[in-house]
Amino acid sequence: MSSTPQTATEQAIPVLKRSDTVIMGRQDFLSVLLRSISGELYKIRRRAMPKILLLIAIIIMIIAFSFSVLAVAFSPSVSCTTDSNGKEYCIPKSQAAIQKQKEAASESLRLPSSLSMSISVINFIGTISLLILTGSIVGGEYATGTIRLMLTRGPTRAQFLLAKIGIVIICVLTTVFLLILVGIIVGALFNLTTGIAVDFSFFTGEWLFHAILYVLIAALGLSVYAMIAVCLATLGKTTAAGIAGALIWWFFESTLGGILIIVGALNKGPIGNLLQSIPDYFIGSNISALRDHQNQYLINGATQATSTTNTHDISDVHAIIVLVVYLVVFIGIAWWVNHQRDITN
Amino acid sequence: MVNNMPLHDSNTVISTTRLTKTFGKLVAINDLNLEVMRGDVFGFLGPNGSGKTTTIRMLLGLIRPTAGRAILFGLDTAYQLPAILLRIGAIVETPTFYPYLSGLDNLRVVAANSGMVLGKANNRRFEEVLNIVELHVYGKLAYRKYSLGMKQRLGIAAALLIDPELVMLDEPTNGLDPSGMIEIRQLIRRLSSLGKTIFLSSHLLAEVQQVCNRVAILRKGNLVKQGDVKELLRERERVEVHIGQAEQTHSAFDVLRQSQDQGATWINNISIEQNKEGNPILLIDAPVARSAEINMLLAHNNLFAAEIHPREGNLEEVFLEATTPTSVPYMPNGIQRFAPAPAQAQSEEEKGATL
Repeated sequence: MSSTPQTATEQAIPVLKRSDTVIMGRQDFLSVLLRSISGELYKIRRRAMPKILLLIAIIIMIIAFSFSVLAVAFSPSVSCTTDSNGKEYCIPKSQAAIQKQKEAASESLRLPSSLSMSISVINFIGTISLLILTGSIVGGEYATGTIRLMLTRGPTRAQFLLAKIGIVIICVLTTVFLLILVGIIVGALFNLTTGIAVDFSFFTGEWLFHAILYVLIAALGLSVYAMIAVCLATLGKTTAAGIAGALIWWFFESTLGGILIIVGALNKGPIGNLLQSIPDYFIGSNISALRDHQNQYLINGATQATSTTNTHDISDVHAIIVLVVYLVVFIGIAWWVNHQRDITN
Repeated sequence: MVNNMPLHDSNTVISTTRLTKTFGKLVAINDLNLEVMRGDVFGFLGPNGSGKTTTIRMLLGLIRPTAGRAILFGLDTAYQLPAILLRIGAIVETPTFYPYLSGLDNLRVVAANSGMVLGKANNRRFEEVLNIVELHVYGKLAYRKYSLGMKQRLGIAAALLIDPELVMLDEPTNGLDPSGMIEIRQLIRRLSSLGKTIFLSSHLLAEVQQVCNRVAILRKGNLVKQGDVKELLRERERVEVHIGQAEQTHSAFDVLRQSQDQGATWINNISIEQNKEGNPILLIDAPVARSAEINMLLAHNNLFAAEIHPREGNLEEVFLEATTPTSVPYMPNGIQRFAPAPAQAQSEEEKGATL
């Protein structure tokens, strides 16, 4: 762009009065941004795709909870053992043992476990749905050519990108809260079939605080992957680049993490340690670490907290720093490309 | 090449100074100095690939200039683009909208991004612009079901949404049928009468000649002509003489050429063309006011004209003259045409010559 600054002698030509039927809003940065986000929301509401993706996610959530019901329904009422001759002896279980077994099998249907179960489902189907949606929201503008329309109306390129990020975050939060609500309700309804009463003794102010943190961490995890989709869709100028790139990243990160840990364990010494420590800088590992730390409070209470994954050595501070770095890098690249790019065909 | 720097005053809506855009080694726009005044209906002409759309994109901030400045409404596009865009309604190439939204919903989204308040406050404006482009019946129809002409009309509706001071239309009649083109022409005239400035890029020269008061012509990224349409056409005005016989016409040609050599400097060029009936016509590039002198000159040589009348210039001729490097010289037994001789055209192109 021209580096010649505007001279003082140049004066803006006075604005002509618009028609009385044109009602203009405030033109400060925030008002323009909020209107742009509203425009994005309007588009999302009118599209069939987000509704279809949400419906699929809800169906998968119901299917996931129905497995717990099936586990209860098909839990064995007899205990079988095999003697040294290979002969099997089965004896009926006591009523108390059956009840205990049912309670254990149906635990994920009731709070607080149903919350963890819902988040686990969201981590799978929620991520896929949101990456598809994000790739479409950002890459679609380039694919259909509407980017020209949007960038010649008034909002700056920064406001355009911020509006996209804003709508993606709104979609993430809406998806997470809606699916959690669906999961808890479906779990509670399925739990009625087991006849086991829900014990709300866990429900304290502290539990609620950790539950909110737990949900927000899940939303953060989805947001980081969504920002990969924003970045790649902007770079690739297509919907496919955003969706495929982010999904590949998400899939290979978990696969590669497992491989590195195994290979690292087989190679003792500094190289092995290095390989084992690489997954500590992956998005998924850090999100899991943050989530596990909160899950300990939700399920076991703070005093009995134990880790359930191999991410026990990642601290909250480490995880947050790593995730912030990812966010800064992805949003930064998207911003820079969006700012510098010439909008041609 | 036209290189006079634009004068900037309070009536200058668009002013570019040495605006340049290169894509690698390709110079898409070279030192463009353009000036559009308030109230102008400005025709922006040029062959395909001459840089019209690139210029429009630079004016709208879609493309960053490699060098030079673009000042719109006295504001620099490099620093105050949002304020500028709030005063412009534009169509860049074929308008594109969201296929899953209706025409009306697309306008709502455009309005949200154009600084207009949300909600029902602007419903009357939506109706107005849809009425202007005669899409009010199809407002609720999904955009993907629109014909090309309807899409073009919706683009114009979106451009007019904020009642802009400057309307930039890049090939607005693409995809429109003849009646649609007439409507667009009428719309441009109506907008002009309301004091709007129109920047019209088009290939339809007759269209531009009818509605524009000023034009600029681009060739290979260079501005080759800019000025008042009437003046440009006056430059192309010629005297047409019908004598009848081919032999007499050639004799008249020789008489006039001789006069030219003897000092009749007001005769610029003489050529012979054939009319529809195949009869030869003498075309003299001279002021129409000299028609009587031409007649006298011929009569002194016993050559009597059946008809003498002015032939008005048209934008097509101006365009072709400006965008082709040279014209074919006169051929005594043939007809002069304004098309370039290929070899010469190539040679002029190589020199980078401009008219």
